[in-house]
Amino acid sequence: MQLGIDIGGTFTDLVLYRPDGRILQFAKTLTTYPDPTIGIFNGIEELKQQFDLDITKLDKIVHGTTLVTNAIIERKGCKTAFVTTKGFEDVLEIGRELRYDIYDLFLTMPKPLVPRNLRFGIEERINSKGEILTPLSKEHLQKLSRTLAKEQVESVSICLLNSYANTSHEKKLGQYLQKEFPNLYVTLSSEIMPEIREYERSSATAMNAYVQPLTDQYLHKLRKNLIKDGFTGKLLIMNSSGRLTTIDGARKSPIQLLESGPAGGSMSGVYFGAQTGNKNLLCFDMGGTTAKASLIHKGKPEITNQFEAGRVKRFKKGSGLPVRIPVIDMIEIGAGGGSIARIDTLGLLTVGPDSAASNPGPACYNLGGTLPTVTDADLILGYLNEDYFLGGTMKLNKEAARHAIKTKIADPLGISVEEAAFGIHKIVNENMANAARVHILEKGLDPRQFGMIAFGGAGPVHAFEVARLLNAPRLIIPVGAGVTSALGFLLAPMAQELIHSHVHNLESLDWNHVNAFLSEMEEKATRFLVDSGELKKDIHIKRIGDMRYEGQGHEITIELPNGRLDESSVETIQKRFIKEYEFRYTKSLQHIPMQMVTWKVQAIGIQPELEVRKETSTTTTNHKSKRRVNFESIGFIDCPVYKRAHLTHEFHQPGPMIIEEKESTTIIGVNCDVHIDNNLNIIIEFQ
Amino acid sequence: MQSITEIETFDSISLSILWSRLISIVDEAGTTLQRTSFSTVTRESNDFAVVLMDIQGRSIAQSSISVPSFLGVLPMLTKALLEDHFPLDSWHEGDVVMTNDPWLCAGHKPDIGIVSPIFYQSQLIGFIGTIAHSPDMGGVLWGAGSRDLYEEGLLVPPTKLYAEGVPNDTLFNILEHNVRAPLQTIGDIKAQIAANDQGIRSLHRLMDENDLTDLVQLSDAVVRSSEKAMRKAIKEAPDGTYNYTYETDGDGNGAGCTFQIAVTIKGDTIHANYEGTSGAHELSINAVKNYTYAYTAYPIKCAFSPDVPNNDGAFYPITVEAPEGSLLNAKKPSPLGARNITGNMLHSVVFGALSQAIPDKVQADCGSACWCIVLNGQTNGKEFVEYFFLNGGYGARPGMDGEHTLSFPTNVANVPIEVLENDIKILVTEKSLVNDSGGHGEWRGGLGQRFSFKNVGDQSINISILTEKIKTQAKGICGGEDGASGSIEIIPDRPFPKKGLDKIHPGEEIILTLPGGAGYGSASQRKQSLISYDKSLSYIS
Repeated sequence: MQLGIDIGGTFTDLVLYRPDGRILQFAKTLTTYPDPTIGIFNGIEELKQQFDLDITKLDKIVHGTTLVTNAIIERKGCKTAFVTTKGFEDVLEIGRELRYDIYDLFLTMPKPLVPRNLRFGIEERINSKGEILTPLSKEHLQKLSRTLAKEQVESVSICLLNSYANTSHEKKLGQYLQKEFPNLYVTLSSEIMPEIREYERSSATAMNAYVQPLTDQYLHKLRKNLIKDGFTGKLLIMNSSGRLTTIDGARKSPIQLLESGPAGGSMSGVYFGAQTGNKNLLCFDMGGTTAKASLIHKGKPEITNQFEAGRVKRFKKGSGLPVRIPVIDMIEIGAGGGSIARIDTLGLLTVGPDSAASNPGPACYNLGGTLPTVTDADLILGYLNEDYFLGGTMKLNKEAARHAIKTKIADPLGISVEEAAFGIHKIVNENMANAARVHILEKGLDPRQFGMIAFGGAGPVHAFEVARLLNAPRLIIPVGAGVTSALGFLLAPMAQELIHSHVHNLESLDWNHVNAFLSEMEEKATRFLVDSGELKKDIHIKRIGDMRYEGQGHEITIELPNGRLDESSVETIQKRFIKEYEFRYTKSLQHIPMQMVTWKVQAIGIQPELEVRKETSTTTTNHKSKRRVNFESIGFIDCPVYKRAHLTHEFHQPGPMIIEEKESTTIIGVNCDVHIDNNLNIIIEFQ
Repeated sequence: MQSITEIETFDSISLSILWSRLISIVDEAGTTLQRTSFSTVTRESNDFAVVLMDIQGRSIAQSSISVPSFLGVLPMLTKALLEDHFPLDSWHEGDVVMTNDPWLCAGHKPDIGIVSPIFYQSQLIGFIGTIAHSPDMGGVLWGAGSRDLYEEGLLVPPTKLYAEGVPNDTLFNILEHNVRAPLQTIGDIKAQIAANDQGIRSLHRLMDENDLTDLVQLSDAVVRSSEKAMRKAIKEAPDGTYNYTYETDGDGNGAGCTFQIAVTIKGDTIHANYEGTSGAHELSINAVKNYTYAYTAYPIKCAFSPDVPNNDGAFYPITVEAPEGSLLNAKKPSPLGARNITGNMLHSVVFGALSQAIPDKVQADCGSACWCIVLNGQTNGKEFVEYFFLNGGYGARPGMDGEHTLSFPTNVANVPIEVLENDIKILVTEKSLVNDSGGHGEWRGGLGQRFSFKNVGDQSINISILTEKIKTQAKGICGGEDGASGSIEIIPDRPFPKKGLDKIHPGEEIILTLPGGAGYGSASQRKQSLISYDKSLSYIS
């Protein structure tokens, strides 16, 4: 038996898989603050009550949380020091000196996670070739440790210049401090992100140190309480690249957890894609405060290492703190159901990027919000049921929504409330479709070849229109659309990735040297997985190279051949590079040598498979009611409304229709066929 | 409040959607340019821009994180190409036009303009252009060291680099044999072309999906919207003529340069007149008219209409005049290489004047111009040209301190220390914020930085250096105090230029201290809590 647990900003979701009965069971409970473990045990209690969960029979629990992201956004990490080469203490604050908005004189840059009074320089120097110019001295180590003792920091980040080329000083410094202060948390840049560019590396290192104590303490407590409750299985953690690591792996490098929840969503996308026969899918996840999109291409999620945390200005690239770790390539395409609509200085209707979130919330929540939001528009258009929001646990106020839209949008533009609501709905859909389209195009892919899978509370409300705008061939609303991330946790393999920086022209590489470090990395990564319980025969090795033309500063990623490499491998690697380069940038270049920059080795464990029992019954009646709903092409109609729980396999009807379930509502317009497959997913085929 | 009926053809909803789509297209092209380029100046420092234009050469969308002057100049270049060089009927699919003529393009030869026509269903519907700072165009090493225009290297008048997809091998060949780092220079030009091509492909998709056959109405709609917003904002400001005088370093040794401006706000228009500004300088710090216009209009746009996407329309209410042959309207054969030093000062002059009309919308002077260092020499028999930029403190704003070390008015990033050291034989010995360099005020100016490096190779390295505010300071406004000046030292000590050419010999170390930003409002009004905070972080002593 396996349990996936996802802690989000508002809800904690649990998914239980019982291999014997091949069934999935869900629980959803409020996230608890300040101690989120209480929420987890509330959820476990719910599963015990409802489904007779026996915690002692759980083989594995997979966990993901927004803890790390929130600590960075809210600046609630610990007192952290930053140690670097003397003379470069301010690199972390100076950043790249680039403005992220060229017209905003009043912009602010993100404050560094470690303030100036806690940044310390140490005498030492290594050059770009990795040669030691100034050795570390005992005297300076002692001086540093006296300073750290005085400041009583909980965690220290160490990022020395050129440590990507020679890690010895960082290691020595780390070991020394660890010995002096056994309780101190120590993060080395050469372990977190051994790549060239000191600011980006410093930023990731400081961030890791900043969140390490709280992550460590949280995971320690969680494990202890689970064991106390009778749990004897494996506790694993979801990371941002859609793979699992051990508790120890997560404690060492907590920044891996930054996007664990959304990564779970993508892994579910992979699963449902396979289940429904769709290898290319756009995952569309829309909640109350954010909407995200990611791609499944040829059955796999796309991974990137360009990521920013804690943006000062939402959607503005460059306004956050860079973290170059592998992350499922996901973009924020909108501000969710709480996005606020307004008329801008040009007299144009705009929506977002700011959100009313859950407090004060949309006007219709009756919690004090007076500004019109996307959710208010959805209510006016009949897409939401004022009496059946969150399964009827929350009543929506239609009059408040109408008033907000009338006074703020409709009257100033001289249009009706319905037209204004439609404008809001349409703009938010168009904006999300645009952003998603750009995301697909940036990868050189064709949006029309991607079906869409939608989840999150507001995802199924907007997915139909967004999918239509992208010319997607079909739309899938999976089972458990409200707990998709937690389900994805159970579908992720264990993995360990190691990175090595060795910049050299491809054609003149010393292959003995290359083979030596690659096999050492492979052995180390494999050992990590074996130690955490994977069988050696199940472990798959993947090599990845970041490459460029000599003289360029940005790399593209290609897969390298496994096994022993030599001169005869050069041609294969060149071909792969050219293929990828042309795919992205149309034309490859002639007469310029190719260069290897970063080498990565991934050891990946077995890919879990969840086999779910297929539904065969077709006997239940499909209960149906009607309500007034406004669709773009046809205006207000009496639209059939179904309860999802009552729909069974072999249901087959043309749109329009509405399908309601506890966690969400699926809105389906015209010109499509809707059916329920034998795993109970809703499949909408566009005509 | 305007109503949607004023914006014809497109309702307010469709226009909002198409507009953001156009901006995505140019941003995407910008990413391609950066990621496929070779020089540090483009790939690390972002010294480029992409603009989408209609068939009249009016800009309709521009890349977001770019150099403002390029954004302003590209439509002027394209209009001039249409008028004097390549009329509408002379463009064919697959053409690419190149020029670095300073008077047509961005005011000095290293800035290469590449303009491609966009055809859709066999009709010419618009243009896409990029300008990027090329690492080398031959002549004297780029900077303030040239004595006339001809020492500044090759000038390519508007020429088809590709005609219907066929490369102009002669021109490529000439370029290759005249520049110091041909691989980088030509690699970057190809990156510009790749960016244009990508923009064209994406625009085709937009046209397909929205059943558009040309850009005429869309272009009219976005241009008119931006124009309207700009006029409306100007109209709200008090009418009058606002004068301001400003001194800069000049060559850093002798007399400085004087900038004199009279900004006249009248109804919904602004006119800036630089009558009284110094004459052309013998150093190559002279700006041409296009460039002066771009860097005058840019701060006006920031102050009046920062939220509305920029395009041609925002410029219509703004006129600029500078005396012929002056520092701001130089004529042939005045040297122009380091005209950015001059252009980067114009925001100070414009904000100084506007602080009398709209004090709550302007910022205090920044520790600019951006300092530029170009290093050139040989490693292992190969010629290198390595650029890097350093920025001073950002000016304080009403209600906010200035950020430390931020690029303004240009927008160029630093080159990472590790990238520099990996490329050439220098060792960086310090990069830090300079305490007490921000001007005091109710709101403090941002701190400048110190950047030091040493030649650790066994050969001398040629250096071209551009600094500013070593003799002068960033000027406080509305009662704020000036920022600290910058300085250059060389160890062992010897005379060293503040703008111009020299060599760094093996073992020599250069210490650059960049100026801080100026303060805003009276220092006596500063909150005690902010003073304590600054002290706790040693921003002030």
